Amino acid sequence: MTNARTARAVREQKAAEMRLQAARSQRRRRSAAIAGTVIAVLILAVGIGVLVQTARSSSAAAGGTPRNLTDGAIMVGKPSAKVTLTLYEDFQCPVCQEFETESGKQIATWVKNGTVKVAYRPVAFLNRESTTQYSTRALDAAAAVVDSDPGAFQAFHDLLYAQQPPEGSAGLTDAALVQLAGQAGVPTAAVQQALKDKQFEGWVTRVTDQASKDGVVGTPTILVNGQKLSSFGLPEMQAAVQAALKGGTSTSTPSPSGSVSPSTP
Amino acid sequence: MPDARALPARLRTAQPWLSTVARVGLAAVLIASGWLKLVDPDASVRAVRAYRLLPETLARGVGFGLPVLELALAALLLLGLGTRLAAAVFAALLVVFIIGVASVWARGLSIDCGCFGGGGQVAAGQTHYLREILRDVGLLVVALALAAFPRSRWSLDGALRLTDDAAPVPGAGTSRSIR
Repeated sequence: MTNARTARAVREQKAAEMRLQAARSQRRRRSAAIAGTVIAVLILAVGIGVLVQTARSSSAAAGGTPRNLTDGAIMVGKPSAKVTLTLYEDFQCPVCQEFETESGKQIATWVKNGTVKVAYRPVAFLNRESTTQYSTRALDAAAAVVDSDPGAFQAFHDLLYAQQPPEGSAGLTDAALVQLAGQAGVPTAAVQQALKDKQFEGWVTRVTDQASKDGVVGTPTILVNGQKLSSFGLPEMQAAVQAALKGGTSTSTPSPSGSVSPSTP
Repeated sequence: MPDARALPARLRTAQPWLSTVARVGLAAVLIASGWLKLVDPDASVRAVRAYRLLPETLARGVGFGLPVLELALAALLLLGLGTRLAAAVFAALLVVFIIGVASVWARGLSIDCGCFGGGGQVAAGQTHYLREILRDVGLLVVALALAAFPRSRWSLDGALRLTDDAAPVPGAGTSRSIR
């Protein structure tokens, strides 16, 4: 009696354990199948994402280059000047504005007396700081200015910094940019059309990408005869220019991090 | 592998809810970081380049692919599908991010981590490496905890009975039925 009961209990327990085991292994198989599917979907999603983003990126980089550039830079000053000052700037960048306020006059003096020429390499790093891609639009307008009259670039550049919109704002409107171009002495129709057609936005994308490839991670980045300055203070720049005037011989193609290849072939 | 049943009773009751909160919280972070990178692919690539760790081809792959991976992981965590796997992958990503930021810091570079979009540029003296690393470590702790205790409320894993103890178990034992 007791024996039989015990035997049945043992049998039942065994059966229950087997059921449990079967359920557990089924669950494990299902888990593995789901995990496999999840991994496959992740890989597929990333693959598609890379393709889509690559296409978006390369279509953004298509479009014409403004005329009147020298080696990809906007040159201001006498070509014979002994010292080349290379400036990577973003028209939305408040620190660039500080730099311009502190050092703009000194640079203008050097340019006027022929000791320094400036290679402007503006970039559009800070589109996220406005609600209207102001970095790109401002640089597009600047490219249009250079395209029609390179001599007006410095004035337009200075006006853009004088009227720099605050970060987080909608930036200057296209109409305001056109008006500033007019103030700088450029026929406004061309600039207006360029902004409307986003004529040079592909070029903006390309120069911004090239600057990043050349190791520029922030604006302003300042180089004196290809040597990157560690700060954007006026005294350091003056010292570097004096040293270059005294001993320097080369006005080699500037590149911010020495070993990296120069911008724009 | 830690067993939820080994937790003190009160924590055992709370654990599935805590794991749900962790899923939603981590997903929210991933959606923010993934989306902000996705909208500007060029900035995303610039941010990767700024670390100066990867060759150009890989930098582009990471810049373009990472935001999609982040969003896909967010979707999995929100659905509660493959929770342990998704949490583990996120944890692995975070370890990579922490190493990346630490290496930039150690090399004396001056960049923004680009964690939430942007091209990695930063004004001189405006770096926040410690803060970025601490944030990632905090997220890592949560992700690891979720990988350890993936059972959660409102999850597909639970609906599909994939986790070991999907049903609430007042007194653990062999008496509970599976079906």
